Amino acid sequence: MHVERTDLLKGWVNVTVEVDNDEVRTIEAEAVPTRFARGWHCLGLSEKFKDGKPHTVRAFGQKLVVFQSGDGKLNVLDAYCRHMGGDLSQGTIKGNEIACPFHDWRWGGDGRCTEIPYSRRVPRRARTAAWPTLDQDGMLFLWNDPEGNPPPAEVTIPRIEGATSDGWTDWVWNETVVHTNCREVIDNVVDMAHFFYVHNSFPTFFKNVFEGHVATQYMNGTARADMTQHAKDGALKMLGNTSVASYYGPSFMIDDLTYHYEGMDVQAVLLNCHYPIDANSFVLHSGIIVERSEKFPGEAADEMARTMSKYILSGFNQDVEIWRNKTRIDNPLLCEEDGPVYQLRRWYEQFYVDVADVTPEMVERFEFELDTSRPIEAWKKEVEQNLARRAAEGQPA
Amino acid sequence: MTIRTDNRLLDGAPMQSLACRQCGAAVQVRKASWQQTSIQWDEDATNACLERRATGGGACGDVFLGCTALSETIAQAALDGVVTVPDDLYEHEESQ
Repeated sequence: MHVERTDLLKGWVNVTVEVDNDEVRTIEAEAVPTRFARGWHCLGLSEKFKDGKPHTVRAFGQKLVVFQSGDGKLNVLDAYCRHMGGDLSQGTIKGNEIACPFHDWRWGGDGRCTEIPYSRRVPRRARTAAWPTLDQDGMLFLWNDPEGNPPPAEVTIPRIEGATSDGWTDWVWNETVVHTNCREVIDNVVDMAHFFYVHNSFPTFFKNVFEGHVATQYMNGTARADMTQHAKDGALKMLGNTSVASYYGPSFMIDDLTYHYEGMDVQAVLLNCHYPIDANSFVLHSGIIVERSEKFPGEAADEMARTMSKYILSGFNQDVEIWRNKTRIDNPLLCEEDGPVYQLRRWYEQFYVDVADVTPEMVERFEFELDTSRPIEAWKKEVEQNLARRAAEGQPA
Repeated sequence: MTIRTDNRLLDGAPMQSLACRQCGAAVQVRKASWQQTSIQWDEDATNACLERRATGGGACGDVFLGCTALSETIAQAALDGVVTVPDDLYEHEESQ
């Protein structure tokens, strides 16, 4: 059957719908992976773990203990003591070791039992699971690898210059638990159109580059006249933004973000990162720092960072609302104006297989570029219609 | 997980081979419209690209946005009809 319809959306663009057959499209989805991604995962601001107490973290389907040893280092171990299964995260830090609350067995950051105060000898095989850690730019990272190998030298988290500079604000940080598989948050890397429909932004240029363990999204946007901008500030008019956001590995995204105002730019770094609690939930983090400038000196920049953080959080909530209600889909039906969802998932798969099974297609460079002139014609119309409707209802634009 | 094939590659234009006129790097290219371009590189192509090499090739957190010589090659190939560009419905209707 072939049907041509030109009656849709009358008055501004004719749409031709081609239907080749009557078959119903089926949504397909395999079970969520039981394996967790290989890579560096951020557990949050490291300061939080430096209060002299052990911390419980549920991640990768397990319970972990995070503790700062006497030497200042942050360590991550499986929370359950190999002796009788006590919970080390309920224990006490004693020198460089975490002491189990059950029988006081002492465990070092390398996962080895160093001492049993009531015994002359530590039994053989007294070793528990330990995760390599990285305390960098105010954040604690953990290396997860189901094969148990240490992180390769070339797989690193880049330094963030502003994070340790007086010329920038401190991190404004937020954490949210999301009850779905973490692939949903990854899909956003390529999903240009949702930025208009879910986040009320207006992309004008969009590009993805996947190469090695890095996946990047370049996006330029203009301010929407029909939406209140987060930093609308008297005479200061927001014009748009330029964003370069890269995932370094499966879970940690750094977004170099420039907000363009009339006569000035504001530089910010936005982090969007997560770690899986289990196959069906993850902890989503956002962090933001803003560069202090002539227009935003001292406290004004901190205030700006807090305001932007609230705005980003409301953006996360918009995503979460979609994720809570949607279904997992392995065979999305894409139109030509959509981003490279399949190619992104091919890239993402490298973190879920053994290193020996990573294929060239997963890591070879792929580029997808879209000058959004076609989508924005439709979006311009929608913005105009919103403004016209409000004017008719007597509301301010 | 099985990685499926993009429905747009099954139903629309396929990827086509093209060599950069500057360095000869052979890539796979697809244009869904005059506005959209996909480029699949392989290891030989990434090693051959002069612009990529000149920018450090994406080491240390600097991501290589793209090669201008390759972009120009693709643009010319599209104009010459070497790379197929499907009729753009929207532009077609605009001109009516």
